[in-house]
Amino acid sequence: MQWRTRMAPWFWLTPAGALLIPFFVIPVLITARNSVYRDDPMGFLVPAFTFAGYARVLSDSYYLGVFGNTLVAAAIVSLVTLLVAYPFAWLLARSSGSSRGFLLWVVYLPIYVSVIMRVFGWMVLIADSGMVNQALLKLGLIHHPVRMINEISGMIIGMIHRYLPLMILPLMTSLQKVDDSIMRASSNLGGGQWFTWWRVVMPISLPGAVAGTQLVFAGVLSDYVIPTLLGTTKFQLLAPAIYYEATTNAAWALSGAMATIVIVAVAAFLITANLILKRVAPWASI
Amino acid sequence: MGQYLMAPAASHLSPGLPSRFFAALVVLFLLGPIAIAGIVAFSSGDRMEFPIPGFSLRWFAIALSKPQYIEGLTASVMIGVGDAILATVAGTGAALALNHYRFRGQSVVRALVMLPIAMPAIVLGLGLLFTLAVYDMQPGLLAGVLGHAVLGVPYVVAMVTAALSNYDRSVERASLNLGVGPARTFFRITLPLIRGGVIAGAVSAFLISFDNISLSLFITRGDTLPLRLMQQLLAYADPSVAAISTLLVLGSLAGMMLLLPLLLRKR
Repeated sequence: MQWRTRMAPWFWLTPAGALLIPFFVIPVLITARNSVYRDDPMGFLVPAFTFAGYARVLSDSYYLGVFGNTLVAAAIVSLVTLLVAYPFAWLLARSSGSSRGFLLWVVYLPIYVSVIMRVFGWMVLIADSGMVNQALLKLGLIHHPVRMINEISGMIIGMIHRYLPLMILPLMTSLQKVDDSIMRASSNLGGGQWFTWWRVVMPISLPGAVAGTQLVFAGVLSDYVIPTLLGTTKFQLLAPAIYYEATTNAAWALSGAMATIVIVAVAAFLITANLILKRVAPWASI
Repeated sequence: MGQYLMAPAASHLSPGLPSRFFAALVVLFLLGPIAIAGIVAFSSGDRMEFPIPGFSLRWFAIALSKPQYIEGLTASVMIGVGDAILATVAGTGAALALNHYRFRGQSVVRALVMLPIAMPAIVLGLGLLFTLAVYDMQPGLLAGVLGHAVLGVPYVVAMVTAALSNYDRSVERASLNLGVGPARTFFRITLPLIRGGVIAGAVSAFLISFDNISLSLFITRGDTLPLRLMQQLLAYADPSVAAISTLLVLGSLAGMMLLLPLLLRKR
């Protein structure tokens, strides 16, 4: 009986283990292993122990550019979505009844619709003769159509649209914890609007902001569709670059090194964000 | 004192005109491109243009007669269904183990089953490409099912765990004490009680798989519907892509209508 109760959790975990160990844990380990192997000129992977792949990725200006571009794009998209999502999530958290239902539906619908359909909509909107350009021309803000499709701007717009809901939802969850009595308590004790925001609302919303930023960052890092369909090869991002190295170039050691750097960077980002959060907002446990 | 009490409450409960305007802009930004794509699907013109020159259903007919779309849809549905089954079995078991028992290594297991969410999909795809070669497998349907199932597990675990949070284990113990075997207890007692979470998890796993590109790139033969549509948009962008996408949205809405009563029905 004792043996049975001790083994029971492992029995329930068997299917998950049978799936995740060979198709999640081992792939990560093999990626790390391949990153220290060597690509021979014929396109075969040669067992070795060398950091040549890392050295190349971290010194060649093309690969450094790819990492830099991705960081810049992720930072811009995170910042813009945070600035737009914050007030919107606040309204959402404060609303009730049918307006709340409608706003929630608006946030969930884009997640539900395929990314291809959303990109298609943007291709129509931001084309050289599209609605956005025509509106800007009519308003006299520009004199010639601005090229946005297959440019950095178009890619950033598409990404903001794709990831905005992922920023709104966690922010809304944490902003819902701000109830009117705390706000009243703050102003009763003499806190002005800014003081109340800075010392009461902002700390409570911080875990949501961090969670949203993590989701947006992870999304931009592995986004292949939007850079391919709306972006430009002059501003190469990580996901298309890794795919290109692994398939067209058959450089498995090199792409393994790029992927390992991404894993380490994501882990470092998650750990730092959680450490900062523990320091600044110790009540929030993630 | 009174004004201090009243002022903030009033200002927070009724959003002013500027915030309503801001909310309207965000709503327009989020829905606009989707609505435009939906309208262009009904275009009678040959190009992706808006406003559309006229109304027609011809792009729907063209989309449904394109073999690459139908093959893509078949592949995506097969991968999605297989993925939903695997992820649901694995995720439900893991959620039960984590919720019902205290055991050594529990926090490691908990982190491991949730980790696929944090892992960039492109990295996992690359790792799977390397691993398929080691296992002597080819990119294709089976590899697609297994890879997508990994992505689905954390969602199933999260939803089943939520369903288990107000689940009373005493019913299950009563069943076991009365001599009903563990397997029958699971299917007769536990599963019906957490059915909502299990179905929600399976649907999430399917939807995530159905829209996946970053992983499918590496582990399928480029034949899932999102990949086919992406290739079409890269080669020649025409309204057929919008037409098939619109059909899918309508189809999944209909599917939701069918599933919702199942989710909400009280036992």
